[in-house]
Amino acid sequence: MTNKPALALDGEAIARCVKRIAHEIAERNDGAGNLALIGIVRRGATLAERLAQALRQDGEREVPVGTLDISSYRDDGKGEPGDPRLLGRNIPFALDGGHVILIDDVLYTGRTVRAALTALADLGRPESIQLAVLVDRGQHEIPIRADYVGKNIAAPTGQRVYVRLAEIDGVDAVVVGGEKS
Amino acid sequence: MRRLPKYDLVSIEDLAIPEIERIFELADMFAENLRDGVPSTRAGGLIMATLFYEPSTRTRLSFESAMNRLGGSVISSADMQASSAAKGESLADTVRVVSAYADLIVVRHPCDGAARVAAEYAPVPVINAGDGSREHPTQTLCDLYILRRKKGDLKGLTVAICGDLKFGRTVHSLIYALARFGANIVAVPYGGMDVPDYVLERLAAERNYKFSTVTIDELKSSFAGGLDALYLTPSAPHQMALFTSENPLEKVPEVRPPAALDAFYVTRLQKERLADKDRAAQGYGHFDVRALRTSRTQEAVVMHPLPRTDELAYELDTDPRAVYFEQAAAGVPVRMALVAWMLESAAREVLRPQAPEPPISFKHEPAPRCAHPTCITRSEGSYLRPRFRLASGSNRSRLALRCGFCERDSRVEYVGHATSHRYYHFDENLSGYVRQWIEEGTLAVFESVKEAEERGYEPYKRGPQREIMNAAEIARACEAIAAQAIADAADPTAIAIVGVVSRGAMLAMRLRDLIEAQTGVRPPCAALDVYGGDPRLRAIDGAETFNVDGRAIVLVDDVINSGWTVQRAMTALWQHGRPAAVKLAVLIDRGYRAVPIRPNYVGRNIPTTRAERVQVRLGIGAETRKNPDRVLLYSMVDSLRERESPT
Repeated sequence: MTNKPALALDGEAIARCVKRIAHEIAERNDGAGNLALIGIVRRGATLAERLAQALRQDGEREVPVGTLDISSYRDDGKGEPGDPRLLGRNIPFALDGGHVILIDDVLYTGRTVRAALTALADLGRPESIQLAVLVDRGQHEIPIRADYVGKNIAAPTGQRVYVRLAEIDGVDAVVVGGEKS
Repeated sequence: MRRLPKYDLVSIEDLAIPEIERIFELADMFAENLRDGVPSTRAGGLIMATLFYEPSTRTRLSFESAMNRLGGSVISSADMQASSAAKGESLADTVRVVSAYADLIVVRHPCDGAARVAAEYAPVPVINAGDGSREHPTQTLCDLYILRRKKGDLKGLTVAICGDLKFGRTVHSLIYALARFGANIVAVPYGGMDVPDYVLERLAAERNYKFSTVTIDELKSSFAGGLDALYLTPSAPHQMALFTSENPLEKVPEVRPPAALDAFYVTRLQKERLADKDRAAQGYGHFDVRALRTSRTQEAVVMHPLPRTDELAYELDTDPRAVYFEQAAAGVPVRMALVAWMLESAAREVLRPQAPEPPISFKHEPAPRCAHPTCITRSEGSYLRPRFRLASGSNRSRLALRCGFCERDSRVEYVGHATSHRYYHFDENLSGYVRQWIEEGTLAVFESVKEAEERGYEPYKRGPQREIMNAAEIARACEAIAAQAIADAADPTAIAIVGVVSRGAMLAMRLRDLIEAQTGVRPPCAALDVYGGDPRLRAIDGAETFNVDGRAIVLVDDVINSGWTVQRAMTALWQHGRPAAVKLAVLIDRGYRAVPIRPNYVGRNIPTTRAERVQVRLGIGAETRKNPDRVLLYSMVDSLRERESPT
């Protein structure tokens, strides 16, 4: 596919999405103790840090942040070998009885989230798991739905949607289509 | 030929205090003999096998050196992961086979409770050289030995334990042992790596022992400017009754500031058990000679189980208070002493009182499974039967079961009575009954209401019920779901159906018939049992196998509520392969989702309150006429409120 890349969200729009999602999380979990954010490595983890900051700025609350690397739970054979229960996470708090917000950049097939749910259920017994994504592409292959969505982008199959974040890529942008850079 | 008695060292708790004292006497003697070059032949003719499923240099070498120094010999498999374990041989089979080659087995394994399993299956004695993040009792013997040699009687000593207190198994063994000897502990976690709650709860419940946790800065400032920040309790070991009314952790500790610290025990970050290594390492502390410069710490010795990374300054090495190399050197005489003590016990025919509390017997099958992910029963579940005791942290408002293998506690939400087939949400009114049911062997435990009902249990008390769907409505809903599934599928003949046992599986068979009527192709169908031990996927229709790989699966359940059951079902599906797609079909969606899962096909959305339950009743074959299909909504009456009400 040789279509030109199109900017779907710029830096400001991403910042607004993060702020809005933070608001929604605070509202929906009002009064709920034990709220925690867990970002899926790598860009989900970056977004988790930004959401935590937004929650703090709102004067809402200090929420612990963890990261999850689901590469060892992947179902496409690209994962690392080893016991997945011992690999790929930095969650310095207990999940038992807590409300976990799982964060990823793009929801597409749902396979990453499916793997992350398996990983989280292995780590403890949270009261609930809610899903926040910056972009929902639809066309899920698995019955996963996001609780918080930054923007719905219906891109045709085969077209790529890139989320670029300043901490990793030097710039904040969501780009649809184009060659992989 | 001489034989060692079948005495297993799985936990430091397996050794009584006089036994530890005797081992230390022997270690003193062996240390002296090693220094003077006096050889020993105590273990002549005996063979030790070292089975290490996890890499280790010093532990394995010190065991092997100790055995050779005693005149015995060693057989070893350097890398178990690459040998029989990689061929899929179970731990139980391996230790049984190796028992024919050796008189003593030393085992290290990444799963919690593995040493217990090895000890139970091997006819020869087993020594635990580290199992998961649980215990490492011979390291603890070395630690206690050095502490005693440097500081005398362990009772009343004050030890600051610094570093990764979360995953460090040497630390957990050491804490239990110091508590037993009556020493005081100050926990100084680095980078938030706190002592796990289950260790604290166990100490509080079983020994009435508590200690305080401080940061390294708080520790330093408390020594600089008075000791008000440090709270310590002298240990007063006594057994707490089960189901006491108060939570033992909430008791206010008695205040007794220590006059001085006797030892610092520093540990490294257990990087291999972490993911984001760099990030965790940033917050990790660094121990150097400055900590020893106050009047209250100048006599303290510095210990470390080694290997060290960056947490311990190299400048300390020449300080006489740094004893970690002596600690490492003690590994050989202490392990020699352990083997020699086992031989002594054989000569005296000492019978060890090995009478642990019998496990709770569960009438319903399968028995509950351990919730701890690295428990050995999860990875070797094909032959290990989970077993539980009532956890010491249980009290009136909290019921927990302790796994007989990994010794971790799993909290129980729903309990059932196997004779009356009633289930209850556990609350404080039930604690007396539960104890009685344990004695009678009639206790059942469930992870959810759904599981209880799947197993044929009824709620303790149910309120009025009403029918929300009749047989015709259920049939129409099934037809609509089948039509949607066919319309959605790229190739309707490639559909495969999986139903969650038991009503989901009954609905799955109905959908199969409906899809066959429309497409002319009978889709393969399987039932998935997600409750209890290993989830099982069983083909229906007499087919030998059910293939998940590359199939467009329609997953079927009767009612979706929190979604945890579907989540478990998907996890189980992926254990059998990689489906091309999964569509979720449910007869009823009653809301209250706790996981980000949404069904693709819903027979009917039923708004419910949390106290209400939806029950789907489906007839089979000839019974259909007698008991027609229906969906009932009823309210659950809270057992607590019921009993408090005067009527």
